Amino acid sequence: MGTWRRSVVGSVAAVVVMAPLVAVMVPLRSHLSIATSGLVLVVPVVTGVVVGGFAAGVFGVAAGFLVYDLVFIPPYFTLSVGVTENWVALVVYVAVMLLVASVVARLETARAEAHHREEAVRRLFELTDLLIEDRPLSEILELVVSTVHSAFALRSVALVLPVGSRLDVVASAGEPLSESELLRVAPEPGVPASLGGSTATRRAQDQTVALIATGRPIGLLHIWGGDLSRHDQDLMHTFANHMALALERAQLREQALRTELLEEVDRLQRALVGAVSHDLRTPLATIKASASTLRSADADVATADREELLELIDNQTDRLDRLVTNLLDLSRVQAGALELRNQPIALGDLVADAVRGLGYRADATEITVTMEDDLPLVDVDHLLISQVLANLLDNAIRYAPPHTAITVSACLGDDGLVQLAVEDRGPGVPRTERTNVFRMFNRSGTSGGTGVGLSIAKAFVEAHGQEIWVEDGPDGGARFCFTMPAARVTVVVP
Amino acid sequence: MATVLAVDDDQALLRVLRIGLTSFGHNVIVASTGEQGISRAAVGAPDIVVLDLGLPDLDGMEVCRRIRQWSDVPIIVLSADGTEDRKIASLDGGADDYMTKPFGMGELEARLRVALRHRMSERGDEETKEIVVGALELDLVHHEARMGGRSVELTTREFALLVFLARHAGKICTHRMILEQVWGPQYGTETQYLRVYVYRLRRKLGDDKGELLRTNPGVGYQLVDEEAL
Repeated sequence: MGTWRRSVVGSVAAVVVMAPLVAVMVPLRSHLSIATSGLVLVVPVVTGVVVGGFAAGVFGVAAGFLVYDLVFIPPYFTLSVGVTENWVALVVYVAVMLLVASVVARLETARAEAHHREEAVRRLFELTDLLIEDRPLSEILELVVSTVHSAFALRSVALVLPVGSRLDVVASAGEPLSESELLRVAPEPGVPASLGGSTATRRAQDQTVALIATGRPIGLLHIWGGDLSRHDQDLMHTFANHMALALERAQLREQALRTELLEEVDRLQRALVGAVSHDLRTPLATIKASASTLRSADADVATADREELLELIDNQTDRLDRLVTNLLDLSRVQAGALELRNQPIALGDLVADAVRGLGYRADATEITVTMEDDLPLVDVDHLLISQVLANLLDNAIRYAPPHTAITVSACLGDDGLVQLAVEDRGPGVPRTERTNVFRMFNRSGTSGGTGVGLSIAKAFVEAHGQEIWVEDGPDGGARFCFTMPAARVTVVVP
Repeated sequence: MATVLAVDDDQALLRVLRIGLTSFGHNVIVASTGEQGISRAAVGAPDIVVLDLGLPDLDGMEVCRRIRQWSDVPIIVLSADGTEDRKIASLDGGADDYMTKPFGMGELEARLRVALRHRMSERGDEETKEIVVGALELDLVHHEARMGGRSVELTTREFALLVFLARHAGKICTHRMILEQVWGPQYGTETQYLRVYVYRLRRKLGDDKGELLRTNPGVGYQLVDEEAL
């Protein structure tokens, strides 16, 4: 026990202080009055009390009495006192010293208690601070139990909250709980659990504190091995109230977040349905209108127009196919099933591929390709990157005014990465919109772009561990750039 | 036959509309933005406008409202997202009809003809003494209705409702439009009145299946002009 150890330490301190004092005084004892040596022997007693409390003080008094009698009151080294007045000195010494010891000890206790109380209030403040911080529920739970565990010097702490349809231990601290303890605090549904088990193991120090916030039960806090004073009990009560409120708040916050998330998912889904239905229907409208015109008996279609309608059907079918490919790719990205098949390829081939893939759209627009000489091969997934390029070109054609030039350029950066840029003469992308354009189903205005093309481009580029961004072009339009790693080609000479 | 202004941002669809409607004998002018559409509607004096709702610069409904400020040219709205709210808003905003993409060219042409014919007949509205829609004859002077020659007894309100729909035969009339015109401006949202009256009218006209007085779920009602379709 702490107090017992403290008493021993105090007693030792009393002896340690007493020894040199006595050693100094013994050669001088014939010159000193009996009262003077008694007065000096007050010092070790007070030291003992301050260090070790009342019990150490009593020990100090006993030791002082013996030393006083044996060493300083003639005849020396006997318990006999000789003159009667020496008795008076001894008795007064003992009586006064006992009084001093008790007064000093009480003062010490009060000081310690005040200190303890101050400590407790500080801990309460700390906990309150912890609780009002904006943290996820799980973190709050861990913090609560570990704070309670250390603040009250407990063996173990467990917090039990309703989880789904049953009570469960959501956080614990201190010694791990035994199987039976776990069963007792969070019984399995339908399985009777003993309240105390063998009463020998259940002590007064094992307690359960109910957590209640604004009249609503929140959960239970179980503590084991706590030697709580009445003051600690009060503190625990306040703790429990704060905890309950904080937990309730965190639970409500978690709920609000979940609702927000659901709303966001819902919004995205609606956006998806809207975007997809718009983008699917637009080419379908052309196909259907063309086909129905060709079939109509009442319509008198010129031969050249007939050719044009057939061509439109062909083009728009390609457009639909691209959209469906995009949507399928998107679901592959979302499912995390994207697998890169990298191989060294010349940029010229990539660009030519992408432009050819555009088909219908590229007709009305002039696409200029300017590339540095001696560009290294790039190490990319051919299909994915030509899709990225096609989506960027598609986007440029969509937002640039008709019959303006679109430039594709490539250069080798200082960082050894090949950078490819697609530049249009359109309205450009405002600074504030530059991250948004890559978000899914973002559509500028009402013009109904795919809303998925740019986000797919971003996903594919990032799958290569590279970057994609948009900036101002030199001619005021938008300039979409992305990087590709150069291939390390070892030239094999046959 | 008629000059048609087609407004759509999709170049491919504009090409089809031009070819398709030309081959049906119409004269076609096109616009690919809302602003262009409004100015061509003013300058080109079209007989009818085919308007896509999803335009890059202006919302299609805004274009519709602006044209309505100075012109009663019939407007047929094309919409890729067939949501009811958009349809109702565009009809309330002054459109005469709507079609959801994709659509057949034959149907679009038929609706153009209905809208054109209807606009012709509306011009002489004030002097009209009798309206005939298929087998339905309405004598506005004597407040008498005949269905296939057989006289039909109608209350004043029923007759007013039928006249309103007949005046706009072939056109989809939104709940709000009908309620405000037949019952009064403060009745704009009382769709349950309308349901009851339409039910009674159908009973009296022998149109239990709603083939003549057609329901457009969530949008409104339409008196079908069979001759035109």
